[in-house]
Amino acid sequence: MSEAAPLSERAGGTACPSCGERTGLGDAFCEVCGCELAPAVVSTGTPGFVPSCPVCSVDPSVPQPVAITADGYCESCGRKVPTGRDHTELDLGLLAGVTDRGRRHSRNEDAMALATAETPAGPVAIAVVCDGVSSSPRPDEASLVCAQAAVRVLLESARLGERPRESSLAAVSSAAAELAALSAPGGSPSATYVSVVVGADPVPPAGGQDDGAGDDPDAVASDATTADASSGSGSGSGAGGGRDAVTFCWLGDSRAYWLTADGSERLTTDDSLGQEMVASGLLDETEAMATPQAHVITKWLGADIPDPQAHVARFEPPGPGVVLVCSDGLWNYLPEAADLAGRAWPAAAADPLQAASELVRFALEAGGMDNITVVLVPFPLRSTPT
Amino acid sequence: MSESGFTVDIDQNQYLPEGGRSVDAVVTVTSADDMHLPSSGPDGGASAEIIIVDCSGSMDVPQTKIASARAAVAAAIDVVRDGTAFAIVAGTSQAWPVFPTDGTMAIADASTRTMAKRAAAGLRASGGTAIGQWLRLAREIFQTYPAQLRHAILLTDGKNQHETSDQLDAAVALSEGLFSCDCRGVGTDWEVAELRRVSTALLGTVDIIPDPAGLTADFTAMMENAMGKQVADVSLRVWTPQHAVVQFVKQVAPEVMDLTERRTQSGAQAGDYPTGAWASGESRDYHVSVTVNPAGVGQEMLAARVSLVASSASGSEVLGQGLVRAVWTDNAELSTKINARVAHYTGQAEMAELIQDGLEARKQGDEETATAKLGRAVALAEKSGNDDTAKLLAKVVDVVDAATGTVRLKKAVADADEMALDTRSTKTVRVKKEQA
Repeated sequence: MSEAAPLSERAGGTACPSCGERTGLGDAFCEVCGCELAPAVVSTGTPGFVPSCPVCSVDPSVPQPVAITADGYCESCGRKVPTGRDHTELDLGLLAGVTDRGRRHSRNEDAMALATAETPAGPVAIAVVCDGVSSSPRPDEASLVCAQAAVRVLLESARLGERPRESSLAAVSSAAAELAALSAPGGSPSATYVSVVVGADPVPPAGGQDDGAGDDPDAVASDATTADASSGSGSGSGAGGGRDAVTFCWLGDSRAYWLTADGSERLTTDDSLGQEMVASGLLDETEAMATPQAHVITKWLGADIPDPQAHVARFEPPGPGVVLVCSDGLWNYLPEAADLAGRAWPAAAADPLQAASELVRFALEAGGMDNITVVLVPFPLRSTPT
Repeated sequence: MSESGFTVDIDQNQYLPEGGRSVDAVVTVTSADDMHLPSSGPDGGASAEIIIVDCSGSMDVPQTKIASARAAVAAAIDVVRDGTAFAIVAGTSQAWPVFPTDGTMAIADASTRTMAKRAAAGLRASGGTAIGQWLRLAREIFQTYPAQLRHAILLTDGKNQHETSDQLDAAVALSEGLFSCDCRGVGTDWEVAELRRVSTALLGTVDIIPDPAGLTADFTAMMENAMGKQVADVSLRVWTPQHAVVQFVKQVAPEVMDLTERRTQSGAQAGDYPTGAWASGESRDYHVSVTVNPAGVGQEMLAARVSLVASSASGSEVLGQGLVRAVWTDNAELSTKINARVAHYTGQAEMAELIQDGLEARKQGDEETATAKLGRAVALAEKSGNDDTAKLLAKVVDVVDAATGTVRLKKAVADADEMALDTRSTKTVRVKKEQA
């Protein structure tokens, strides 16, 4: 385009990973080759992953190579071979995540999606974690579809400078719509859902107003849809934007935590019978979680639920820390925020991928009864995405 | 419904406890109502029918037997569609072609049907019984005409007296895979076990027609059924993992037919089990049982891949496929659940066996064993809602309490009732897959 400033003069961008041209600050696509500059990444599997049978490929009595069927079984011994989804690590610099099949499930029905955006207000980090509901059909596809659809909406909205509260709800609607397309006569594929958007508010909240959402998780949970501190604000945006905040949105029992040296807390409140028992004062947390119904979720994203009424809330970190987003495969073994912080902070600040791997390893060593997904977003965000 | 016109559905509990090895599944194969012929083409689609009629001397006692047989053959010929190859064979201690007399096959049209019926009207009874000879001739006649679907109807009224059992077995073995054969015994002087051996090997049915008057209706129905068949030589191909053992493959609905010994190897880890010919809108259930080497908890294994394969001169075509899985779990609630249909058909197969064994024991004079086995069969028939079998059983035993299988052997049992129970012991009732 002739009106555009020469590419070489555009400030603040990075080099296009495809053609090497310098890009403009906040550009979503390379102006030269058109490739997406910072696409979302999803735990669909390791790129270039070639399935092979862990048993027969090293068995000298079996003729090599051993064929793997299209549906992922070894043609020799019949074992379901590991898929690319069994263990995936994603690292976007600003945030990183690890998902693992665990020790007791035959496949990984968790999915995660990560993205970063460079906006006029500053960098934004986005994470979505979904846990397919095992009792529904095709839970592995359900979780992946939801994570994929949601991250797309969140990333696009961040690039456009839209407010994360609205975009979080739009992302849930989009995931629900994609899930409906998976629906079949056999039942409704379903998944839990949790998203976080970390970064400066594109629109600063009205001065001085603080609803204390971050200090009072119960208030957040009791009526999450009104807990957004930035509602009603109308002042303009600009470089520097508003205050750095975490916007989180969820359905079910996948969780978001704020972990720091002192003052760690759980941000989300489970939609589960266990949580209901605690909320009604019947049992304390430990007793409730020991009951067989504790993990029965009361809200989720399902192909049969067009308007799932997700919770959305906002948290302003008082200082440095790390946002943890995880499935119950982790928190089953370590539900307390302070205990999680003890394992992840401050290590996560320097190397979120390493810290996420450590948490996954911890859950595996504790038994790995379920699929495990861990995403860590160090706060404040480092200034430049890598 | 898939493009091939067939669907293959698997019903099973895939969960095994730690160390569990046994995987059972019910495989339902269904053909579409408007199935097109995958094997139809310039050289395919043709079908051939041979009617084999016992003309031994006993068919004249009473005379209505041979007269009814003539009428039944004529009625069946009326049902043969234009263009179908057909022939009539008469059997005594030898066999000879009644129509066409040169030992080939005629193509059905108005004029050949008339000639055939005239030939059938001339059937006379005199001589012995050597069923193996009859089958050998039928086989030779079938081989004179290239057909996709070859089917025979065999009628006898007596025991296979004029050849050895081995001679019959050899003739049956030669016929296997070449044609299918539905067998009927008229009266009560024939041997159920003998005829069942023929019909089972030749993927056909066996039944008793106690009164010769029933022959015409039965022959007409059999031929109509045969005319409905469209796809021949369909096999179940069962792939299993290394070190796995196929315990059995049985057709379990509409009746029990054990196919385990009928396996022909079709690959390093696969074997084919014949299912015979298929009409449109047909549905059959098979019970497949496989033993696998256990994998660890949380692991999944493909315990069997069951494909429906149509074979022809030009190769084999997969018409449908289903996967039998094994997933090891430490959740006892999952692994101890027995699939309802697997349990149902296990019971039906056991019932058929109990009836056959019980009747045999009764014949041998072992009343204690007969009472125990038939009693247990009564209980299984009651539990599974197999009313037809329950009624047949009630003609052989006095039922004191069906639920517990308490019975007394009847003192006097009509031969026809005992034989009807024997021949129809393999008929099963179906249960539908539970909707998830």
